[in-house]
Amino acid sequence: MTVTATRRLRPRSRIRESVFERSAPYVYVAPFFLLFAVFGLFPMAFTFVISLFDWNPIGTKTFIGFENFTTLFSDPRFWNAAGNTLSIWIMSTVPQLIIALGLAHLLHFARLRFANFFRMSLLVPYITSVAATAIVFAQLFDTHYGLINWVLTLIGGSPVNWLAGQLSSQFVIAVMVIWRWSGYTTLLYLAGLQSIPKEMYEAASVDGASGWRQFTSITIPSLRPIIIFTIITSTIGGLQIFTEPLLVNSTGGLTCGAGRQCQTLTLYLYEQAFGDYKFGYGAAIGVALFIMVVVIAAINFALSTRMKGSRS
Amino acid sequence: MRSRTRLAAAAVVTTAIVASLVGCSSGGSGSSSASKDFTFWSFTGINAKADVQAYEKAHPGVHIKLTEVGSSTDTAQALTTALAGGKVPDLVLIQAADLPKFVENPDNFVDLNTLGAKKLKPDYAPAIFSQSVAAGGQVLGVPTDVGGLALSYRKSLFAAAGLPTDPDQVGALMPAWQDFLKVGKEYTAKTGKPFVDNAETSIFYQEIGQGSEQFYNNHTRKLDYTNSQVKSAFDTALQAVDDGITANLTSFSTGWAAGLQKGAFATVATPSWMLGTLKTDAPATKGDWAIAKIPGGSGNWGGSYLAIPKRAAHPQAAWNYIKTSQSPESQLQHFLTSGSLPTTTANYTNPKLLGSTDPFFSDAPTGKIFTEAVANMKSFYVGPDSGQIGTDFLNTIINVENKKISSAQAWSSALSAIKQDVAK
Amino acid sequence: MTGTTAELTATADVSPATPDSGRRDRVRGRRGRIGKVSWWVYGILLLAAAGSIFPLYWMFVVASTNSAAASQMPPRVIPGGNFAHMVGVVFSTVPFAQSILNSVIIAGVVACGQAVLCALAGFAFAKLQFRGRNALFVTVLLTMTVPAQLSIIPQYMIISSFNWVDSLQGVIFPALASAFGIFWMRQHLASTMDDELMGAARIDGASSWQIFWRIAFPIVRPAAFVLGLLGFVASWNDFLWPFIVLKSPENYTVQIAIQALQKSYTVNLGLAMTGSFLATIPLLLVFFFVGRRLVAGIMDGAFKG
Repeated sequence: MTVTATRRLRPRSRIRESVFERSAPYVYVAPFFLLFAVFGLFPMAFTFVISLFDWNPIGTKTFIGFENFTTLFSDPRFWNAAGNTLSIWIMSTVPQLIIALGLAHLLHFARLRFANFFRMSLLVPYITSVAATAIVFAQLFDTHYGLINWVLTLIGGSPVNWLAGQLSSQFVIAVMVIWRWSGYTTLLYLAGLQSIPKEMYEAASVDGASGWRQFTSITIPSLRPIIIFTIITSTIGGLQIFTEPLLVNSTGGLTCGAGRQCQTLTLYLYEQAFGDYKFGYGAAIGVALFIMVVVIAAINFALSTRMKGSRS
Repeated sequence: MRSRTRLAAAAVVTTAIVASLVGCSSGGSGSSSASKDFTFWSFTGINAKADVQAYEKAHPGVHIKLTEVGSSTDTAQALTTALAGGKVPDLVLIQAADLPKFVENPDNFVDLNTLGAKKLKPDYAPAIFSQSVAAGGQVLGVPTDVGGLALSYRKSLFAAAGLPTDPDQVGALMPAWQDFLKVGKEYTAKTGKPFVDNAETSIFYQEIGQGSEQFYNNHTRKLDYTNSQVKSAFDTALQAVDDGITANLTSFSTGWAAGLQKGAFATVATPSWMLGTLKTDAPATKGDWAIAKIPGGSGNWGGSYLAIPKRAAHPQAAWNYIKTSQSPESQLQHFLTSGSLPTTTANYTNPKLLGSTDPFFSDAPTGKIFTEAVANMKSFYVGPDSGQIGTDFLNTIINVENKKISSAQAWSSALSAIKQDVAK
Repeated sequence: MTGTTAELTATADVSPATPDSGRRDRVRGRRGRIGKVSWWVYGILLLAAAGSIFPLYWMFVVASTNSAAASQMPPRVIPGGNFAHMVGVVFSTVPFAQSILNSVIIAGVVACGQAVLCALAGFAFAKLQFRGRNALFVTVLLTMTVPAQLSIIPQYMIISSFNWVDSLQGVIFPALASAFGIFWMRQHLASTMDDELMGAARIDGASSWQIFWRIAFPIVRPAAFVLGLLGFVASWNDFLWPFIVLKSPENYTVQIAIQALQKSYTVNLGLAMTGSFLATIPLLLVFFFVGRRLVAGIMDGAFKG
């Protein structure tokens, strides 16, 4: 109604523009949305639908309703994978964010020399392919011939069978994830730090605040939006870890070891869908993972928005 | 203005690239209009290119589009995805371990009987050929090669423990698995070192291939994995662990490969394709290895089959390739160049095969020993869940070796794992 | 001095239209905490740099020796002289040069495409009002939570129906609709572009396109550049989907090529490491040349407080 009214008020040449204006947002979104509908939405919808079936990809498909989910609920392998996933996620995300914060704070010195060398070296893990990284770490953490165990024996400890234990194999994977993402996260935090006016730090040193005090009262609150972003993205990514457990335990197969000690949910999903040809069940695991990620990300978001920001 | 020109240039370049890609590839994918050409998915690492080129040379006018997809598991996964959703190759190589799941769903493949497999069938070892026959009698694949089975051992380590080193004598020393355990205990007592690399693969996995039944009832094709043959093999493996004669090195792990080099264990069950692994991983031990008959006297590990997916565009061309490349003569030729054992029984009495030796293995009669193992095999039904069941048993034994569970708990632990994995 | 150069370069690209205290600071001089940098700071940073680079270096050590070097005791940390030979084996075993070219094309198109598409859509999500905006945005975000492994079969069905199997566009198009890219661009625009600026432009009679082209895009260009680079790296390192789609050796990407180096049953470690190292070199080169821009771009106000 409003548009019609304004149309009468505007000169004729503006009519075409108004129509275009109203459709502009849709036009901008259209190319992306088209691709997204085909390659993003359809697979997701397919997954949700197929989780209601018992489907062998090269065999029969039968509708079984929520039976996959009831089986899942009482499946100890599912809970084992869920526990592994959460444990790996915590072990990899918390140290990663802390390390990144610390490194960003250290890199934030105005008079730091070789700053660019440090920044770029931190990104090297990010550009190395996960597959290559997994092979390297598998070698480094090998029980008999790995560098880590060799160093351990040098300093008086005894070699650890890293990939055989539950916590130890998860530790190896967590180290891989931390190694890969810390640099990237550091740079994101550093970016945020750059926008903090230096007058704040100047005033703080004039007041006699120590480096640590500056860190907790200026740095962290100013970084709140970025910290939230990195918590959300590392939650989503960290709960879906797949390639690391698959490749670092190369003889462990799709179960990541004889005792499924490091099998994450995505790996379990892959084992069911492509290893056992139970694609419907695999899709159900995917739906469960989806719910888990959304819930945890929402919790993280709620918790981190309660963090003290620089405006509050 | 500068930025606008740059962006425009980028857009033009991008469009040009995309357009050329669209143009290029649609030419590529629909190319083989000639009915004699076909697409072939094979594994990496088996020099499939050489076989394909040899065929093309002998049949001018035929062009084969070969893709060495990856490992056997990668190829099976790519095949599954293709069968489930889209474009399939005309010919595909499937490994024996991946075959049962495909045989369970025979409608995905051309029944080779319709192309003439009935005539070829008598040429092949029955125990091997039968594994690609579906419940309804459809023949889904033609076996290309087998692994056979033998016991590889280090002569110097045997001599140091006072054991014979001649292959015939070693074979006579350990005709059954109980003898193997006995000799193993003697060896470990004398030298203080493990006798065999691990219990799950070298003992259990091989012993369950030697019976008349495995995890299914042959006639009803129903699950039956608690039968006495399986239990006996499981107990043998457990006893090996309890006697302390295994090195607890998982096959193909880094520690295992290094162990081959360093003499960490004296014996390992090897199919013919694993000989190459020993040569790569332990080059310094050349001439110190030899091969004897495996305890139990029979067995096979590995092997592949050629199959034609139902939606293949050129099934006849693919079939011609199978007929030619898997004839007894071609398989013998293949053996002489690459060492992979034939599946055609005519070759099992061929002196060229029986007389072949390997210097790395002290000129032991490799051809003879491996093919005897295959010839002695009994036919049993391998079902779609056999792989999973086997893995569960193996993992349980590994858990015992790693002291996660006791051997008394092992059997029930294995059964509960299997029940979960093959529910329904 | 290196830091200053990067910052000044970055400043030159930014449109002066946006008022911002951070940027004014930068023009005046170096950002960051004042004070002397203690030696232990350098120590920690050096440790972090060494830890970041070591695995790649070790990859080179194994690649230049042989497989047995990986299980040597004490572990070997000095490169051998075998690298040239191994490189030769790699190039003769798989069509490596062709695969690098394919990867460059695919990653390049994905990078540009993502940058442009996500900038456009991100602008719409951040600054334009339309029905269903928030619901659509949340839906996009939600697709990030479904593991890619599940998408393989449905995507293969689609690609097959377009007859794009075994073609580069079968790999490119699914990668263009990046949910992360939308998230990234929207966040950047929402926090760096003032609504007042947009309001003022509208009063002046500017259409959305003009606002996007003359105001939003220049602001967001660094972020779009970063997104493009991130997309390039992700596409370069992607294995699973290209492996499913591409079947002819002449279409292989570099990750498929190095997988193909391995034998059926055993991993030839020396060869695998050589291949992996060679596959990382182009990325290192890209980094060497545009690394500073990437770093500056990430830092160039990716997020404001």
